[in-house]
Amino acid sequence: MLWSQNASPIRPQNLYLVVYISLMFGVLSSLPDLSDQSCTFKVTLRNFRVILSWELKNHSIVPDRYTLQYLVISIPDHMKTVEHCSNITASFCDLTDVWDVLSETYAVTVDGFRGNTTLVTCFIDFFLATHISLEPPEFDIVDFTDHINVNVNFPPVIPKILDGKVLQFYLPLIIEEQSGGIVKKYNPTLDENVTGNFTYVIDNLLPNTNYCISVYFKHRNLEEIHRSPVKCTLLPPAQDTGSSESAKIGGIITIFLIAAVFISTILILKRVGYICLRNDCPNVLNFHNMSSWVFPEMPPLEAVAFVEVIHTNRKKKVWNYNYDDESDSNDETAAPLTNTGGYTKHGLVGGLLGPTSASSATWEDCLEPYTEERDLSEPEADTEPLMALGPKPGGSECTSGAHEGRGKLLQDPFSEEDSSSTEESGDKIIFNVNLSSVFVSALDDDGSEGPPASPCFPEETYNLEDSHRLETSFLEAPGEGTQPSFPTPSAECPWPEDVLSDISDSSESGVDTGDGYIMR
Amino acid sequence: MTSRCILQTALLVYFSTTVLAVNYDLLRFQLSSSSVECQNLLLQLNGTTKDCIKDRMNFKFPEEIEKPQQVQKEALLLVTLDIFQKTSDIFRKNLSSTGWNEIIVNNLLEKIHWQIEHLEEILEKIKEEENFTWDDRTLLPLKRYYLRIVRYLKAKVYSICAWKIVRAEMLRSFFFLDKFTNYLPN
Repeated sequence: MLWSQNASPIRPQNLYLVVYISLMFGVLSSLPDLSDQSCTFKVTLRNFRVILSWELKNHSIVPDRYTLQYLVISIPDHMKTVEHCSNITASFCDLTDVWDVLSETYAVTVDGFRGNTTLVTCFIDFFLATHISLEPPEFDIVDFTDHINVNVNFPPVIPKILDGKVLQFYLPLIIEEQSGGIVKKYNPTLDENVTGNFTYVIDNLLPNTNYCISVYFKHRNLEEIHRSPVKCTLLPPAQDTGSSESAKIGGIITIFLIAAVFISTILILKRVGYICLRNDCPNVLNFHNMSSWVFPEMPPLEAVAFVEVIHTNRKKKVWNYNYDDESDSNDETAAPLTNTGGYTKHGLVGGLLGPTSASSATWEDCLEPYTEERDLSEPEADTEPLMALGPKPGGSECTSGAHEGRGKLLQDPFSEEDSSSTEESGDKIIFNVNLSSVFVSALDDDGSEGPPASPCFPEETYNLEDSHRLETSFLEAPGEGTQPSFPTPSAECPWPEDVLSDISDSSESGVDTGDGYIMR
Repeated sequence: MTSRCILQTALLVYFSTTVLAVNYDLLRFQLSSSSVECQNLLLQLNGTTKDCIKDRMNFKFPEEIEKPQQVQKEALLLVTLDIFQKTSDIFRKNLSSTGWNEIIVNNLLEKIHWQIEHLEEILEKIKEEENFTWDDRTLLPLKRYYLRIVRYLKAKVYSICAWKIVRAEMLRSFFFLDKFTNYLPN
């Protein structure tokens, strides 16, 4: 049975016991001897055997045999004779199997005979638990480098007087360790039925150190405590363990030295100035407000005006122009496109101006100059109706940025056309339009004053009535009679062709607009 | 300042509860020591039973205490208190025939009295803390046991042999008490 050392060697109870024992020593020392007038008795627990021995006080009397009888005070029986203790020559008797209760008061009678004559009769009564002398158990030790195994030999059968947890509470086993004047006591917990070899391990011992071990039962009566002879051993030195421990200590010291050198180096460099640690970091490196850093604030919302866009699906009609003059068709600027419907599409403006206008201005930008233009185009448009539509200084993006494109892209075709036709026929531009077309150009001696600026009409920002009026205003624009009012697809904004288509459809009858055009 | 006061209060409460709490390790040691001391005092009362064999009596110590199985600490303390009280009552009776040393008898009674007061304080503290109730039927065998002893003494007219037999019985009871107190919790 192997028991590990799991209890503190010095328990409070032991300390209390030491103090208490020192106070009681005077009382305990005065316990009466087990003797009467003729004999002195001694009851001993030796090798877990209960041995009662006696000695005659009068040595002149020498019996040749003894007979032992006993009785228990608490049991009113007759005196009992122990068979194996009758007529014995020895002055002791083994009562292990007879006395089975430690807490009894036994009354013993020993008769000494010589022949048939009773030479002596001794009587003693004693309380066994108090008067029994506990001799230490046999034990041996096995030493190791850092621990000792203490093997206590228990009998195969524990005597009855030690049953009932007596060994645990009343007669505890004590293992005493002595080394260098220091005494440690261990109190192993024994099972109720402990038998055979009981091994107790005393660990955490120092190698190459001398240890002495003794074992005994702790008795209530200190006079009856008998320590065993000590068994000493010198633990062998543990070279491996020592080297490993020294290596560990060296490693720890090395780590501390490295840490000290590192920290001192950092401090020196900082003190000298090689390391400049700033406490006030720029705001960029200020990470204290992590929440705002992780979740940046949203930019302030801009005022947004919602515009309702109404889509109007209309049937598109393509202005097809049929140029009779083939020479004109060769003109790059006029570049009429022959449509499958027999019309010639005048795509010289729309085809050239579309992308540029789309990139230079939006339709919202075009709205404002148009409204101004409309006002100008009514009464004052008599003289220069279309020139008022031209670029104005300080105008919007539509009239400035986009106008640049207009100035180039719009004027170029006309300028080239002017170079081809104007130079030949003066300021007049003659379109040969098929009758099926909407507008028919009438020769006007006034001639065009220049390439008109194409107005911008966002198709979604005015209603149909306005478009009629607008169209009417354009068509009724007197004077110049040039084709600036020619509703080509917008140069910078998508021209509402469908609106014009409707107008053209609505003027089937053909109305002379007075400016040289005939509106059908 | 506030935290310091709180710390001091906490330490005071901790140490107060530690001091006021029942230390069962210490109590177990005290009870065991008292039992042993009472045994030793009884052993000093001289007198052999050689002439009293015919006066022996089996008083039948209660088995519940002689061989306890599982005992609550409250029951254990009450049994211990009752043993001390009844023993004290017995040895306050007529001892004139014994011829025992009165000093030893007084020492025995003082020891028992001190232990009785100590146990009463502990039980009062336990009653306040744990509010336990006790069934007197557990003490009934013990009361009967001591009643038999008293009746025996009366029957023997407090003779010296009767007292010697009773003294031996008291040694037994203190031995059982010593073993019994080891069942106190740690």
